[in-house]
Amino acid sequence: MTLQQSAQPAVAARPAWRRDKSRLFQEIGMLAPAVALLTIFLIVPFLLSFWTAMTNQPLVPRPTPIRFVGFGNFLRIFRDDLFWTSLWNVSRFTFWILPVQCGLAFATALLLHQKMPFRNLFRGLFFLPAITSMVVVCVIWGTLFQYPTGPFNQVIGFLSGGTIEPIDWLGDPNWAMFSIVLLSAWQAYGFQMIVYLAGLQSIPDELYDAARIDGANALQRFWHVTMPGLRPTHVFVLVITTIQAFKLYTQVAILTQGGPKSSTETVVHYMVRSGFEEQKLGYASAVSVILFLIVLVIALLQRQLLRRFDV
Amino acid sequence: MMGKRLLSMLMASVALAATGVSAEAKTVLHVMHQGDPGWVSTYGEVAKRFEAANPDVDVELIYAPHDAYNEKFSAAVMSKQLPDVMELDAPFLANYVWSGYLQPIKPLVDQDVLDDMTASNIAQGTYPIDKDLYAIGLTDSSVVLYGNRKYLEAIGARIPKAVDDAWTQEEFEGYLEKLAKVDGVKWPIDTFRGYGIKTEWITYAYGPILQSAGCDLIDRTTWKSTGALDSNACVKALTMMQTWVKNGWVVPQSSGTNQFFAEGHPAALALGGHWFYAEAAASMKDDIVVMPLPKFGPKGASPNGTWIWGITTASEHPDIAGKFVSFMLKDKLYRDYATADSGYPGLKSFAAASPLYDTGGPLAVAFEQASKTAVARPPHPAYPVITSAFMQAVDEIFNGGDAKSALSAAAAKIDEDIEENDGYPPFDEQQ
Repeated sequence: MTLQQSAQPAVAARPAWRRDKSRLFQEIGMLAPAVALLTIFLIVPFLLSFWTAMTNQPLVPRPTPIRFVGFGNFLRIFRDDLFWTSLWNVSRFTFWILPVQCGLAFATALLLHQKMPFRNLFRGLFFLPAITSMVVVCVIWGTLFQYPTGPFNQVIGFLSGGTIEPIDWLGDPNWAMFSIVLLSAWQAYGFQMIVYLAGLQSIPDELYDAARIDGANALQRFWHVTMPGLRPTHVFVLVITTIQAFKLYTQVAILTQGGPKSSTETVVHYMVRSGFEEQKLGYASAVSVILFLIVLVIALLQRQLLRRFDV
Repeated sequence: MMGKRLLSMLMASVALAATGVSAEAKTVLHVMHQGDPGWVSTYGEVAKRFEAANPDVDVELIYAPHDAYNEKFSAAVMSKQLPDVMELDAPFLANYVWSGYLQPIKPLVDQDVLDDMTASNIAQGTYPIDKDLYAIGLTDSSVVLYGNRKYLEAIGARIPKAVDDAWTQEEFEGYLEKLAKVDGVKWPIDTFRGYGIKTEWITYAYGPILQSAGCDLIDRTTWKSTGALDSNACVKALTMMQTWVKNGWVVPQSSGTNQFFAEGHPAALALGGHWFYAEAAASMKDDIVVMPLPKFGPKGASPNGTWIWGITTASEHPDIAGKFVSFMLKDKLYRDYATADSGYPGLKSFAAASPLYDTGGPLAVAFEQASKTAVARPPHPAYPVITSAFMQAVDEIFNGGDAKSALSAAAAKIDEDIEENDGYPPFDEQQ
C-alpha cells in the first residue's frame, strides 16, 4: 500500500497531456477492432435499414426507379390489420411464455440446486433441449401435435377415456399459439434455468444458516432468503425472455407459417413475409425499425427496473 | 508403408493441381436448380454426361431448396452471382423477365426441341408483353381428382372418363355429402391443406376453381385485382370451399398429406397433383380412379406450369447455356427419371414415350386437361404479391373468416403493390 502511494505522485509528475495522449493511442488501438466490426456489421446496416425504410426499394433490383417515400411505409404498416394482429399475437405469446417458461426454469433450478446424487448429470439432461436446434425441436413436436392421431392426442384420449375430443393443436386458431408456447418453453427454458442456478448459488449459505438459527422453516427460508436473493435474477430473466419472445419466428415459420387465420403471425414473420415473399424490402425495413423501437423500449424499462432493485 | 502413403498423397496433390489448371482453361457453366434428392442426383448425372460430351465445359450445379428458391435467387442477384442457367417456377417468369434477368431462348435452344413443345409448355414459358419464349421444360403439370373406387361405388357415383364429362358442382357437392356418411370415410376429400398455408399449392390448385367459377385472381387485361378477386363469383366459390371445411369434409391441415392412401383410406377423394399418382397408386393398386377436375361453372379449368429452365442475361456463354438446356431435355436418362417420377409431359415426344399419359393410360385425362382446360397463373410481374395475398385470404376463409372481406383485403393489397410500382410498365398500357 505504502509503496503504491509513494509511487503515484511520481507518475503524476509527468505532464498530464503526455500521459493521457499515450494512453489515448493505446485505448484507441484496443478499441479499434471492436469498433470497426460493430460499425460494419451493426451500426451501418442499422442506419441503412432506417434509410431503406424510407424508400420503396424492392428485394431484387427492378427497372423502376427507387423512390424516397418518407413515412409512407410506416403509415401503410399502421393501416395494415395484419401488422396489429401480429403485434397482438406476439404480446399474447409473451404473456403466456413468461409464466410457463420462467416458472419451469425456476422450478427445475430449485430442484437441481438441492444436494442429490448425479446432480450434474441431471443438470446436463435438463439443459439438453436448449442446445438442440429449434428447427429439429419443431419438426419433432410437429409430429407430436399431429391431428387427430398424434401422440399428444392419443395420450389425452387414453387418460380421459376418450371423453376429450382430439385437439387440432396447430390447426385450430384457438390452440395454435398455445401449442407454440408449449414447445418454445420446453426448448428454451434451459437457459433461464442456468441463470437461476447461478442466482441460487450466489446466495450465501450463511444467510440460510442464520435463518435456521432464528427458527425459520423451509418455506420461510424460501420466502425470506431465496426470493429476495433472486430479485435481480428474476428481473433479468423476465426481461431477457420478453425480448426473445418478441422476436418469435422460427417456430412459426416451420410449423404454422402464421396461420391458421393469422393466429400465429408474429412481427418478425410479418417482416420476412413482406421482405422476401412479397419482395418489398423498404416496407420490411420499416417493420424492422418498428420492432427495434419496441425492443428498445423494453430494454429501457429493464434498466429502470434494475435500478429500482439496486442491482 | 509410410513411403507408399506419402507417394499417394503426393500423387493426389499433383492430380488436384492438374485439374485446377485444366479447370481454369475450361468454360464454367453455372446451373441453379431445386428439387428433391432424386432430382438433385439426376442433375448431377446430366451434368457429368454433358461434360463428357463437351470436354471444354465444366458444369457447376448450384442447389437452392424449393421453399427458399426466390430468396436464394434474390441473394444471387444482389451479390451479382447469377447463374447461366436457372430453373424457375413458371408463374414467376413474368417477374424475372420484367426485371431483366432472363433472355429469350429461341435463338439458343435447338429448333427440334422448340418444335416439340406442347401448347401449355409454350404458354408457361412465354412473356405476355413481347410474346417471346423465355423458358422451356421437359415437363408440365396438372391437378386431377383422385377417387377411391370402393367408396365411389358405394354411393353409386358417376365416374367421368373424359374432361368433357367432368362432374358439375351440384354432382360434386352431392357426392361429398354422401361420401361423408360412408363407413370408413373420415373425410370425403383431401385438398392437401397439409402442404401448408404459405405454399404455391394454394394459388396453383385452388386458383382454377375460381377460374371455373367465372372469376380470376386479377383481371388479365386491366391488371386490376379489385373487381376480379373480390367479385361475387370468387366470393361464392371460396364460401363454397369454406362450407366444405366447416362441414368437416376436408382433411385438416394438421393431418398430413397421405390420408387418401393411408391405412383404412380415411379420405375418399383427393384433389391432387399428377405427382401424387405414383405414391397413391403404389398403395391403392386398382382402387384408384383418376377423374378430371369438377366444373364450378359453365367451363372447367385446371392449373398448369412447373419448374422450367431459363437462361439469364448475366450469362457470358448463352450459346453454351442453350446447348446445355437442349442436351438435358433430350437426355435419355433424364427423361427416364422424369418418367419414373410420373412426370407430366411438356414435350410431345416425351408424352409419346410416357405410357401413364398416353391414350388409355391411367393419367390420360390429366394430359387431356392440358389442351382443354389449362389456365396459366397470371403472367404479371406482381405475381409474388398476388400469390402471397391470395394464400393469406384462403387461410383466413378456411378458418371461418368472411370471404368477401378477406378477398377484398387481398385485392387491395395486390392493387397497392401494382400502384407502388407505377403499374409495372408496360403492363399498365396493356389494355
